[in-house]
Amino acid sequence: MAVPEYKLPEEFKLKCDRVIPERYKHMVLTNRQRPNIPACNIKTVPGDMTERGCAFAGCRGVVGGPIGDCIQVVHAPAGCAWYQWGTRRNLSKIYAWAGPGKLCNDSHNRRRAITTDLQERDVVFGGMEKLKKACLEAWRLIPGAAGILIFTTCTSGLIGDDCKAVAKEVEKELEKKEGRPIPVFVFDSPGLCRVSQSTGHHHFNVQFYEQMVEWRKEHPEFCMKEEEKTPYDVAIIGDFNMDWDLAYIKPLFEKIGCRVVAVFTGGERLYNLLKIPDVKLNILHCQRSCTYISDLIKKGYEIPYINVSFFGIEQTAKALRDTAKFFGSKEMMEKAEQVIEEEIKAITPALNFYREKLRGKKIGLYVGGPRVWHWQKVMQELGMKVVFGMCTFAHEDDYEKINKRAEDGVFLVDNPNEFEIEECLEKFKPDLFLTGLKEKYLARKLGVPTVNSHSYEKGPYACFRGFINFARDIYQGIYAPVWKFVKDKDFA
Amino acid sequence: MSELKPINGNLKLNGRLTIEQLNALPEVPIEGITYEQIYIEKEPICPEYIPPDESIIPSSKRSVVIDPGRICMPFGAMWASVGVHKCIPFVQGAQGCTTYPRYTFSRIFREPVSIATASFHEDAAVFGGRRNFLQGIRNLVYRYHPEVIAVVTVCSSEIIGDDIEGFLNEAWEMLEEEFGPEIRDQLKVVIIHTPSFAGSHVNGYDEAAKAFVKTLAKRRSPNNKVNIIPGMITPGDIREIKHILKLMHIDYIMLFDISETLDCPLRLPQKMPYYPKGGTRIEEIIDTANSLATFALCPDEGRGAANYLAKRYEVPGILGPLPLGVHNTDKFVKTLSEITGQPISEEIKDERGILIDAMADTFHYTMGRRVAICGDPDIAAAATRFCCELGMEPVAVFSGTQSATFAQEVWAACEEYGYKPVIFNGGDMFEWEDVVKKEKVDLILGNSKCVNISKEANVPLVRIGFPVYDRVGYQRRAYVGYRGGEFLLSLIVNTILDAKFPDDRVHQ
Repeated sequence: MAVPEYKLPEEFKLKCDRVIPERYKHMVLTNRQRPNIPACNIKTVPGDMTERGCAFAGCRGVVGGPIGDCIQVVHAPAGCAWYQWGTRRNLSKIYAWAGPGKLCNDSHNRRRAITTDLQERDVVFGGMEKLKKACLEAWRLIPGAAGILIFTTCTSGLIGDDCKAVAKEVEKELEKKEGRPIPVFVFDSPGLCRVSQSTGHHHFNVQFYEQMVEWRKEHPEFCMKEEEKTPYDVAIIGDFNMDWDLAYIKPLFEKIGCRVVAVFTGGERLYNLLKIPDVKLNILHCQRSCTYISDLIKKGYEIPYINVSFFGIEQTAKALRDTAKFFGSKEMMEKAEQVIEEEIKAITPALNFYREKLRGKKIGLYVGGPRVWHWQKVMQELGMKVVFGMCTFAHEDDYEKINKRAEDGVFLVDNPNEFEIEECLEKFKPDLFLTGLKEKYLARKLGVPTVNSHSYEKGPYACFRGFINFARDIYQGIYAPVWKFVKDKDFA
Repeated sequence: MSELKPINGNLKLNGRLTIEQLNALPEVPIEGITYEQIYIEKEPICPEYIPPDESIIPSSKRSVVIDPGRICMPFGAMWASVGVHKCIPFVQGAQGCTTYPRYTFSRIFREPVSIATASFHEDAAVFGGRRNFLQGIRNLVYRYHPEVIAVVTVCSSEIIGDDIEGFLNEAWEMLEEEFGPEIRDQLKVVIIHTPSFAGSHVNGYDEAAKAFVKTLAKRRSPNNKVNIIPGMITPGDIREIKHILKLMHIDYIMLFDISETLDCPLRLPQKMPYYPKGGTRIEEIIDTANSLATFALCPDEGRGAANYLAKRYEVPGILGPLPLGVHNTDKFVKTLSEITGQPISEEIKDERGILIDAMADTFHYTMGRRVAICGDPDIAAAATRFCCELGMEPVAVFSGTQSATFAQEVWAACEEYGYKPVIFNGGDMFEWEDVVKKEKVDLILGNSKCVNISKEANVPLVRIGFPVYDRVGYQRRAYVGYRGGEFLLSLIVNTILDAKFPDDRVHQ
């Protein structure tokens, strides 16, 4: 897609990029009237110290990983599986059995790393036979799972293993063994595919959709029966239950009279996910990673979706109102207003405390993509000022949303590298930097407090009640006594 | 459901709340409510417990690997490289091959880590990674002025067959043209081949150590120093080794010294780009050819380099054991003394005496305790011996990476003390877990990956080795040397006291 003509003012041209000027097209200042879109979703310049991850990370780690009751087999050398073993705080309430009468200590999706551990001979001779054996063995060793999800990586992709064929064979054998059909899905997203982890989100969406459609066709018993349906069945798409965000999200919809059939994919059971095409409305939270499947379901099953945000007061209220408006039920609309009123009342005293403390503070905001626009309003609600925004893997539509929601003149950097982050922290001097785990230690070394914006510090942060946790962690970041010791000039 | 009291901002919540109760609270306290206050009922994956198929629990009887006790080969290479001053690892692979290791370093050390990526995409898979390499090296030199670039290959670049050595020749020409011929004096490039399907992080560190000395070491006049290749031990461990050397008045070259690159003070102002001030200097690596000896503290993570220096420059190599526990530290100190002619100093004898004193004070707590041990081969082997020295019985000893010496080491220690543990040399944690859960075990010594096993088996865990990311401060502590032994002993005993002794049996 063509990048609109945009001229970055000289004073915003970061010094560290003088030798790689191609980076300047990734920087703009926001404008509500005429959105400025930086060059985005294009390949990273080699050697530029990007913070991006790979497609496999997006596919297995972000979107696939939260599924709660499957055996997830990573077809790769052991490292790839290890890196996603209990790393992301995508929690679930589904636990495997640790023994008779005893459940595991961590939810099933985070408990184990299951891999084919490809060796040199597999790379030379192919790993398909090994993958098949591994899947069947994993099924015997971790009983009770709903199905098997296979993820490919650079290694299995480059050696050209036909994992789909293997999955079909495994499916056949499992059906014979169990006397019932067991889904075995493949998600093909080798790390070096396309631009970033965003590619992996896309891959998971499309491939899950295709396999779901096929599975439902072949096994109609996995669809929701007519008599089980209710007029207010919804699915929440694109929430991964970070730090139990769903403990706040789901009850709000239940309170206004919806039934949440499934969450794609936060802590969800596979068979519930297969029923998403049976709902009346999809409520789409992460519009970067999951618009794909929402569109596909809309096209394939004529189920509409609405875009929502569950952060802060205004946006969460709008999510509830939009849902009620969609159903056109007067009762639901009244309930929504009542819930909004109660929720605001419940958090106002605490929120006032934080507003008082945080008013006028400057925030640097660097997350994957969507949260940079989800959180513009949230920062405004706390009376804080976003001084710069950065996204790892955002696309044009994310930047449009940021432009729309941010105040004018916020400096945006697409796919920032380490050096740019350092310079922005120095140049804009934010009071706090909302960022991820890798970058937070860099910011702290420069004396800037941080809040982990991927997995949170002490979440959940979503919806009205989570907003207080979010405000508290920002407050604790800025007001921690440690910062006064850092500034003591005698010890510089 | 318990009666809910209205809460005001100052009232702390007693007990946890169900999701329903939480959402019904009329007022959210100023402190907010986090998930540790929320009661979330676990749902079993299936209604009834189904036992796993016992016949394929041993890893030798299956293809699938469940809970590998090892990470990828490039990670080890990056670990060694970030211990070198102003060295930037450049990963010839996809972005994830850089981001995941960076994430892992940050989790463990709580420090920023600069690692660059060649940013492989499909075109690299088709046309090779030459262009990525050249552009990447150029950008790094331009912006970061590194003194060393450690080129780390990964699965993808090795499968597509990138000729890195050839690329580098081209890169030098390009760099000379842009920066002048002096760039060859200002920058060193070390190539480390680490396709993950050929080994684990342990082998990756070993490969890196070998590549560094092979590329850089040069014969000059004898320097009267000893080379130390620490292996993947903590910054605290490295400081302890330096402390011992100082007490012995021995000059040393500490290779891959992460003690001041992965554990740095927060002091302002910082220079940009951020570089930790520490790390092994290139001059020191060059000078390793002229030392009295090379100590590879972890034989599996330094054997290659030590052997190379021995063969090429006649610098004798001493391969382990890791100086953890009394016997191993004694051996280290004695060998140091023999090689350098420096006597074992009074201070060292006192430090040893303090460890021995602590052991004499605590054996009633440790004797007879059955212990399961898990970790990288050299740490697991050394920890096994230390457990024996405390009168504890090793029951199941696990190394995630297959090692030539691990089983032998463990066996030798256990035979000396009369124990017969099950030894897992390069299996997966799933089979070790099975033994831990079935045997009566009092204590686990292992890394953060043992937390779930510890909780499920109801056996307390003492954290040691790579990786510990769920508790703070471990990376700053030493486990090696006599003082490290005293720290580890205290951890072990206090953990036993917490788990096994009612408070009134501890008070006296």
